[in-house]
Amino acid sequence: MKREKRIKIYVVILLIIMPGFLSGCWDSHELNKLSIVSGLGWDIDNTGKVTMTYQSIIPSEIKGSSGSNGGGEQKGGSQLSAIQLNQDTGSSPYDALSRYTQHASRIPYYEHTQIYLFGKEGVQRGIYPFLDTQARNPVSRPKALMVVSAEEKASDILGIQDGMENIQAFGMAAEIKLSATFSKYPEVTVLQFQNRLLSKTTAPIAPMVGIFEETGPEGKKIRRTRVVGTAVFKGDRMIGQLNERESSGLLWAINEIKIGFVMIPEASMEIVSAKSKIVPELQGDQVKITIEIDEESNLVEYRGHQDITADLVHELEKGQAKEIESQVRAAVEKSFALDADVFGFGEAVHRKYKKEWKDLKPRWDDIYSRIEVLVKVKTHLNEIGDVNKALIKD
Amino acid sequence: MALEKGRISNFQLSVLIIGFVFGSSVIISPGGKGAGHDAWIACAIGLMEGLLIAWIFTALTKQFKDKTIMEINSLVYGKILGKGISLLFIWYLFHLSALVLTNYTHFFKLQIYPATPNTVTLLLLILVCASTVGRGIEVLARLSIILVPIIILVVFSDTLLLIPHIDFNNLMPVLDVPSGKLLLASHGAASFPFAETVAFLMVLAFVDKPEKAPSAVFGGLLIVGFMLIMAVARNAAVLGPMAEITIYPTYLAAQVIDIGDILTRLQVLVAISLITMGFIKITVLLYGTVLGLAQVFNLHSYRPIILPVGILMVIFALTNVGNTQEMVDFAEQGYPFYAIPFQIGIPLITLVVAKLRKLPQTGGDQV
Repeated sequence: MKREKRIKIYVVILLIIMPGFLSGCWDSHELNKLSIVSGLGWDIDNTGKVTMTYQSIIPSEIKGSSGSNGGGEQKGGSQLSAIQLNQDTGSSPYDALSRYTQHASRIPYYEHTQIYLFGKEGVQRGIYPFLDTQARNPVSRPKALMVVSAEEKASDILGIQDGMENIQAFGMAAEIKLSATFSKYPEVTVLQFQNRLLSKTTAPIAPMVGIFEETGPEGKKIRRTRVVGTAVFKGDRMIGQLNERESSGLLWAINEIKIGFVMIPEASMEIVSAKSKIVPELQGDQVKITIEIDEESNLVEYRGHQDITADLVHELEKGQAKEIESQVRAAVEKSFALDADVFGFGEAVHRKYKKEWKDLKPRWDDIYSRIEVLVKVKTHLNEIGDVNKALIKD
Repeated sequence: MALEKGRISNFQLSVLIIGFVFGSSVIISPGGKGAGHDAWIACAIGLMEGLLIAWIFTALTKQFKDKTIMEINSLVYGKILGKGISLLFIWYLFHLSALVLTNYTHFFKLQIYPATPNTVTLLLLILVCASTVGRGIEVLARLSIILVPIIILVVFSDTLLLIPHIDFNNLMPVLDVPSGKLLLASHGAASFPFAETVAFLMVLAFVDKPEKAPSAVFGGLLIVGFMLIMAVARNAAVLGPMAEITIYPTYLAAQVIDIGDILTRLQVLVAISLITMGFIKITVLLYGTVLGLAQVFNLHSYRPIILPVGILMVIFALTNVGNTQEMVDFAEQGYPFYAIPFQIGIPLITLVVAKLRKLPQTGGDQV
C-alpha cells in the first residue's frame, strides 16, 4: 500500500517535470530566422580594418529557380537570384559581425560555409585575424576551402553568378574541387592550411580565383569565375603565386595528382595513376632532395601521322617524363625564388633526420634555396586507344 | 551487515572497466599534450604503467577477498588511522568525479549546448547517475554490457571512416620528443585515465569469482588501452600538428569525416560517447564515494546519502575551476602528481603493511 502511494507521487512529480523538457531547446535556431552563409569574404585594409562579405542563401529562391535554370536564362535580369551579399567593416572580424546585425534581419549561420575567400590586398598583409577566429570558433568547419581572390577585393568575386549553380560559393567550391581532381590547382582546406602553418617551415598554399569575361549570345558580356593560380604564403601573408604550370609541378611533387592530362607537342596522355615521393638526403649542411614520380597513363591524342610502334610508345613515355620533370622544375625554381618551402622538404628532412633537424630548422630559410633537387620520373603508357594506325599517313 | 548484496561477473567487470576508462578520454587524448605526434607512444607506456598499478591494487583485493578498500584499511591500520586513510581515498573519488563533471560541462558548453546552463546539464546527468547507484552495482554492470559495445562500435567506425584522411607522415619521425618529456606525458596518460581504475577497489569486492578478478581487470584495461592508442594515433595522423593545439582532438577529427558528402558531421557521435561513457565513470565514482562513506560511518544503507553527495559533486564541479584553461592546466601539470598518493601510494602501502602484519590471518574471521 505504502509503496503504491509512493509510486503515485513519483509519477505526479515526473509529469510536472516532463513538460519542461518536452518544449524543445530554448536556444534553438529556426531555419526561417537564419541567414545561411555559403561563402565568407575577408578583406583586410592597411589600417587593419576587416571587411567581411557574407554571401547568404535566400531559401525561398532555391525552390523555384531550378526550372528556370534549365532554360539557361537568368531570372528577372538579376544576376544574384538565390544569394544575397552583405558587407560590413569593423576593426576586427567580430566588430564587423556586430555591425552586420544592425542592418540584417537574420543572424548569420556558418555551419554550411564552404568557402573562405580572401581579397588579394588583405592577404598580402596577413590573415591572422581570420586564422584565429576560425580555429577558436567551434561552429566553423575544418573542411571549408581556403581561396584567394585574384582581384583586389573578395566581394568582387563573391558577387558573380556562375551559370550552372544557384549558389555561387558552392559552385566555386565545386570549381576548385574539379580543378584539383584534374590536377591543375590544389584544393586546400582550412585544416591543411593550419597544419602547414603549424609546421613552421612548410609554406601554406591556397588556390586563387579570378574573373574572366565571355561574350554570350546577343553580344552580352558574361562574367565568370575561374581558378587562375596558387597563392604561396609565408606565415599568414601571401608572398607570391604559382602559375598553371608551376601549380601542376607542385601537385606532382606533393603526391596530389589524381587524374588529368599531360600534354607534349605531339601527343596528349591521360593520367591513370600517379604516385610521388620526396626522398631527402643530408650531407653535412647540404640537403639533397630527390622527387621520385611514378606515373601511368593512356594515350588519348596523337598528332603525328605515324603508326604506333613499340619504339614510339617508349618515345612518348620519355617525352612525357620530360614534360613532368620540367613542370616540377618550374615549381621548384619558383619556390626557390620566393624562398618558400611549398613542398614540405623541411618536414621530409625532419622525418628522416630528426637529430640533425633541430640544428637545421632555425636556419631553414637560408638553407632552402641552396637545396639540390633531383627529379626522377618513371612513366608508363598503358593503352594507346582503339586504333594503332594513323588515319592519314605522311 | 551487507551494504551491497549484488554480485557482478568477471566479464561484466571487464566491460565496466572499459566504460570507466573511456570515460572522458573519448574526447581528450590521453598523453596528447606534451608528446606531440608521439602521443600514441606515451599512451602505450601509460597503459603499461596503468597495468602495473592495477597489479598492485588487484593484489590487495586478492589478499582480502570480499572486502572494499574501506574495510581493508580498518583491518590493516586499525580503526582510527584506517578510517582517516579511507576518508582520503573517498576524497579522491569525490574529487575525480567532480573533475569528470567539469570536463563534461566545458565540452558541452563549447560544442553542443552553448546556451544551456551548466547546472542543468550536470543535474540531469547526476540524477541519472544517482538513480543507477541507488539500484546497486549489478544494475550498472548490466547497463554497461549494453552501452559499452555501442561505443566501441562508434570508436571503430570513426576510425574506419577516417582511413581516407590518415596520413602516416604525420606520425613521423617516431620518438621525436625528448625522452624526459615523453615519460612525463606517459605518466600523464597513466594517471588519466588508466590508473584511475583504482576506484574499482570499491567494486572488486562484489565480483563473484574474486580469484579471477585481476585477469578481468587486466583484460579490460588492455582492450580499452588498445582502443585509446588507436584513437590517439588516428587523431595525430588525421589532424597533423593541429591535434596538439586543439583541446578536443577526437571531436575535430570526427568533423573531418566526409564520405561522398553524405556521411558527414558525425561529431555528435563523439558527444554521445562522452555522455554514455562519462555516465558510467561518474556512476562508478559516485557509487564508490557513497558506499565508502556508508562503510566508514557504519551506516545501515548508503541510499539516503546518494543525492546529497551527488549534489555536492555538482557544486564542486561548478566551482573548482574558473575556466577551461584552468582545467587543462590542472589536468596537465597538477593532476599527474596529485594523483600519485591515491593511485599508487594508498594501495601500495596498504599492501606492504598487510604483508608485514601477515594479514588477513588465516581462519580468524574479523569483521
